[in-house]
Amino acid sequence: MSKKQVTLECVCALLILLFLYASISKFLDFKTFVGQMNNQPLPNSWTPFLVWSIPLLEISISAALLFEYTRLIGLYASLVLMVAFTVYTGLVLFHFFAYVPCSCGGVISKLTWPEHFVLNITYVSLSILGIILQRRKYFKTIIFLNIKHNLV
Amino acid sequence: MKKIKMTFMTLAILLSVGGAIASRPKALQSGLYYYNGTGYMPAGTLGVTYVCESSPNVCTYTKSGNNYIPYQTMSTYTPIGATTTPTKPEPKKGK
Repeated sequence: MSKKQVTLECVCALLILLFLYASISKFLDFKTFVGQMNNQPLPNSWTPFLVWSIPLLEISISAALLFEYTRLIGLYASLVLMVAFTVYTGLVLFHFFAYVPCSCGGVISKLTWPEHFVLNITYVSLSILGIILQRRKYFKTIIFLNIKHNLV
Repeated sequence: MKKIKMTFMTLAILLSVGGAIASRPKALQSGLYYYNGTGYMPAGTLGVTYVCESSPNVCTYTKSGNNYIPYQTMSTYTPIGATTTPTKPEPKKGK
C-alpha cells in the first residue's frame, strides 16, 4: 500500500469520524438540537426539515466514503457541506447575526467560533486532498484497465 | 491493502459511535448555574435557553458541595428564548 493510499484512507476515516460523530450526537440529544435549530437565524418553519436532513445527510456522506465506488461522490459532498459550514461560521465570526448558538453535536458544541472556523477550514482542506488523491487513483485505474484491454 | 482499509474504517466508526455515546449530555447539563450579580441561578439548556458569548468572563458554573466552580469560561451568559418544538405560526384572527 503506497503512502498516497494510506493518506487517502486516513482522510476518509477522519471525515467519517467527524460526520458520524456529529450526526449520532445530534440524534442522542435531539430535543436540544431542535431548540438550537430554532435559535438559528433561519425561518423556524425550516426546522422540522433541517433537524432530519442535516444528520441524515452526514450519515449518507459517511456511508458513501466507506465504499470505493461512491467515495468520490462522498468526498465532493463532504467538501460542499464543509464549505457551507465554513461560510456560515465566517458569517457568525463577522457578526452578521446578533447571536448564534452552535447546532453541533457532542464536544464540537464546546468549541468557540474561531476554533470552529479552524476545524472547518482543516476539514475543507482534507476534503480537497481526498478528492485529488481519489481522482488520481480513479484515473490510474482507468488507464490501467485500458492498457490491459488493449493488450488482450 | 484491504486489511489496512478495513482497520481505518472500523476504527473511525467505533470511535465516532463510542465518542458520541460517551460525550452525550448527562445530568451535568441540568446542573449548571450562572451568576446574576447577587446569586447563582440554574442556567437552563445551552443553545436553547442561553448561549455563552465570547468574553473574558465565566459563563456557567457547576456546584460542588457549597462551592460553585467555573465550568464554561472565556464567555458571558446570555439568555435567549426559544422552545424545543418548532414554532407554529399563530392563526390569523378573523375580522
